[in-house]
Amino acid sequence: MIEISSLSKSYGRHLAVDKISFEVTRGDIVGFLGPNGAGKTTTLRMLTGFLPPTSGAARIAGKDIFRESLEVRRRIGYMPENVPLYVDMRVKEYLRFRGALKGLSGSRLRKRTAEVMETCGLTDVRRKMIKTLSKGYRQRVGLADALIHEPDLLILDEPTNGLDPNQIRAIRKLIQNLGDKHTILLSTHILSEVEMTCNKVVIIDGGKVKAADTPSNLVSSMRQAGRVTVELQTPKNEVEPIISSFDEVTRVVGETLQDGWNRFTVFAAPKTDTRLKIGNLAAEKKWPLRALSRRVGTLEEVFVELTRKD
Amino acid sequence: MRIFRILFFKELKAYFFSPFGWLILAFAALMQGFVLTEALEAFSDQAQRENLVFVTFSSPLFWFYFFVLFPVLTMRLFSEESRSGTLEGLLTAPVQTWQVVLSKFSASYLTFLILWIPAFFHFYLFTILTDVPPPFSKGEVGGAMIAIALMGLLFTACGCLASALTSSQIIAGLVCLGLLLVHFFLGAVTNIFGDTIPAAPLFEFVSSQNHLRDLTRGLVDTRPIAYYLSTTAFFLFLTYHLLDFRRWKP
Ligand SMILES: Nc1ncnc2c1ncn2[C@@H]1O[C@H](COP(=O)(O)OP(=O)(O)OP(=O)(O)O)[C@@H](O)[C@H]1O
Ligand SMILES: [Mg+2]
Repeated sequence: MIEISSLSKSYGRHLAVDKISFEVTRGDIVGFLGPNGAGKTTTLRMLTGFLPPTSGAARIAGKDIFRESLEVRRRIGYMPENVPLYVDMRVKEYLRFRGALKGLSGSRLRKRTAEVMETCGLTDVRRKMIKTLSKGYRQRVGLADALIHEPDLLILDEPTNGLDPNQIRAIRKLIQNLGDKHTILLSTHILSEVEMTCNKVVIIDGGKVKAADTPSNLVSSMRQAGRVTVELQTPKNEVEPIISSFDEVTRVVGETLQDGWNRFTVFAAPKTDTRLKIGNLAAEKKWPLRALSRRVGTLEEVFVELTRKD
Repeated sequence: MRIFRILFFKELKAYFFSPFGWLILAFAALMQGFVLTEALEAFSDQAQRENLVFVTFSSPLFWFYFFVLFPVLTMRLFSEESRSGTLEGLLTAPVQTWQVVLSKFSASYLTFLILWIPAFFHFYLFTILTDVPPPFSKGEVGGAMIAIALMGLLFTACGCLASALTSSQIIAGLVCLGLLLVHFFLGAVTNIFGDTIPAAPLFEFVSSQNHLRDLTRGLVDTRPIAYYLSTTAFFLFLTYHLLDFRRWKP
């Protein structure tokens, strides 16, 4: 659906996006992550034809974003960051205007306007001026606008920015439902949301792609992922040399707890699981064992690991 | 064409479904009344060599409010959209940039033309309300209409360009006013320095004051018409490229 190949953008001398490349296949829900100023909005603006790339190319549904901009824009539903809207219009009037701009007319326009208002929970406020709506409702109007022409691809820049937890849940549900029919590329800072909705994650930092994979692969391949914690009553100097001798283990750190037990942190390579070996070892040596757990990473830790400045 | 129509009516609504358009209309009608009154007083004081239309449209007060109309009408067009960010939504919709430029231009130009209905209605009223033979002819009124319409084209296009240059309405308005004044003074060069200076014919050619004078005397020439149409096209072309820079390949 989207093929980006070494796309760059510089504002004067400042390189905001530095030769990024990644792909999005049809039907994916892709989370586009990165710290503030990483270049997410800039990338999305290039994809939607609002900014010209400095170099590189991208194709959406097989069309070049630069040379066939109009064709590309017909297929995209875009919700810009901060959701700019014509505040002097009423909700329904605005949606009808946007729908008409995107090529709908007559009964189809009427039908789609009613449908998106229903989907986004706007039916009750349809006669209100947009300037009198709360932020969350404006956000919904922006989303309804992006959906109205049934685009193949939705590009959403921080769709849940500034919403209350209920609305975040509602939007997350909506995105999950939309994912059946649409391809979605969304940027966000809420990682739990990405874990729940996205089947692919692209993390960028300083204009470069740091990772592009499924959330579960990212979590399991992070540096801390193989770490195992064991609690034994056996003295430290007896345990440490044996566990350290395992191939995948790099280091074992033991500490004595207040009740006399020892807790060992076993640093092992990512994607390995030493729990079984350690369990068997303890059974074999008759070491008293009361806890054995493997670290389950979160996307947040992956994010921090990849984008930390130090 | 459909997209153009949709955008055009949206812009027109922005003028007339808000107090804004009506305020300008009231201001224009008021000033037109003042200028006409002034001209009529001149006629009642002493006999005039020129016709009433000419006297009306050559007073300094006319130029003052005429020049104020354009920044006020056009400064909002693009500046407001780029300040509030709605330009992003507009230009990422499947619309072509020329449709955006032409629709905004046409809507503000039409609004400008509507502002002149009272002024020409005044002349019509004169013939109904008084039984003196009108001190002007139909041709002179027609010439004045053409002059206003032509100058309106160019000056509205200047306003569009100014508005596309900046996201501040105030600056856009000032730039527009600046452009208009520069144009006005280019036309006044020969009045100040005499018509013996080297480029005198050129200054005469671009002078709105001359165009207005000739047309309000009922003299219709094709050269000023060509001048206004081509400069309008040029300014709109600049506006188009300013907005469309996003599709330039560096
Ligand atoms: N119009 C602009 N002119 C100059 N620099 C810009 C412009 N827009 C963005 N930048 C710079 O480009 C870089 C990337 O900005 P961008 O808005 O893409 O970040 P982002 O990833 O969307 O951040 P955030 O999470 O805060 O929204 C930043 O360093 C920013 O200062
Ligand atoms: Mg951003």
